[in-house]
Amino acid sequence: MNVTEYIESGILESYVVGAVSEQERREVQCLSSIYPEIQQELDQLALSLENYALLHSVEPPADLKSRIMAELTFEQSTEPIIRPMPVDFTTDRPTFKASWIVAASVGLLMFVLSFFLLARLRSNQDSLAKLQNANSSLQKEVTQLKDQQQLLALLRQPGSRTVALHGNEKAPNGDMLVFWNPKTREVAVEVHSLPALQPDQQYQLWSLVGGKPVDAGVFDATTANQQIQKLRRQIDRADAFAVTVEKRGGSPTPTLTTLLAMANVDA
Amino acid sequence: MKRQSSLVSESVLIEKLNRRDEQAFHWLYDQYSPALYGVVLRIVRDEEQAQDLVQDIFVKIWKNLDAYDASKGRLFTWMLNVARNTAIDAIRARKTQPSPSNAIRTDEDNVHIVDRQYNTEQPNPEHIGIKEVVSQLRPERRELIDLVYFGGYTHEEAADELKLPLGTVKTRIRAALQELKQLFKS
Repeated sequence: MNVTEYIESGILESYVVGAVSEQERREVQCLSSIYPEIQQELDQLALSLENYALLHSVEPPADLKSRIMAELTFEQSTEPIIRPMPVDFTTDRPTFKASWIVAASVGLLMFVLSFFLLARLRSNQDSLAKLQNANSSLQKEVTQLKDQQQLLALLRQPGSRTVALHGNEKAPNGDMLVFWNPKTREVAVEVHSLPALQPDQQYQLWSLVGGKPVDAGVFDATTANQQIQKLRRQIDRADAFAVTVEKRGGSPTPTLTTLLAMANVDA
Repeated sequence: MKRQSSLVSESVLIEKLNRRDEQAFHWLYDQYSPALYGVVLRIVRDEEQAQDLVQDIFVKIWKNLDAYDASKGRLFTWMLNVARNTAIDAIRARKTQPSPSNAIRTDEDNVHIVDRQYNTEQPNPEHIGIKEVVSQLRPERRELIDLVYFGGYTHEEAADELKLPLGTVKTRIRAALQELKQLFKS
């Protein structure tokens, strides 16, 4: 809508002098609450009429005021109204304060408690991880010990032989033991020191029977934990044991150029 | 005119009035009773009736302060309207009172009553202020303002009374108020 046009239409002037219909009156009141320009114009017109009315002022007779006051009821004078205020203020304020202190303390307590619980949770998680680590390493050791025990039990049986093998010129520091029981036909080795091999190579043990080599199984150069490696072949006869370097998995016949060590089995 | 400066403190007054503070009533009465009495006297032209009406008006104002909405206009404007309406109702009732069967007023009655009031010589002496302002206001404009504002005439009644087209009445009311606005601005 065009506010300027509405202001200039004359309806605001008719409104302030009270010469509008009920519908027009509501319309002006509604629009003036929406458009500040209309409200401003209304205020100026009303002020002009107030001034015009003031021009007609006549002092009423002195007794009129007391006549009117006799008909009116007044609230108690301002003093009693004001007096209770500080009382309310002082009684209200401590409870207000106290509730805030309580609320703040509870909040702080919860905060500290949550930190405490969080720290506890973290340390519990840490110790759990440590225990799990310790547990798995213990389990590893236990399985190793079980293997060793089985071998030891095996080798302790009557008739077990121990043959020490020493390296030749190709492995001057080579040093290992071969355990063999002719009755159970089981063979195992304990490497003390052997040269490291390529990943595709493995050591192979041979038993020599009447000058003929018989495959006695493959093993690695590991010396970790003085581990005894049980070989997967069964040997019932052996005059001597020899070690060669073969391709991983073993070879049906020994490669003599890679012979590292050989020792006779004592009768 | 001197009172205009003290009208600025309306908001403080309203706050005290809402507590129906006795001190606030003194203030209200001292500040506005001459204006209200003057306006009522201008409408009813009878001192005794004007005093009774001002008494009714102040009681009405005191009891209906809750109905006053500061966002819809100034307190003094509201009080003036209460006073005007009460006084205009009174002179209309004065005419119809003798025969209650005629309680419903016709426009003709209204025109007649107000016409009578309007043409009567003013009993109260005019202020120097009125003379100054009114002498600057065009007579036909002042005539119309008084008819509508103090007489409670509608547009149609005023057009009838002044033998003017309705459109002229409307534009003249606007012109009169605009002139009044300019007069009080300076």
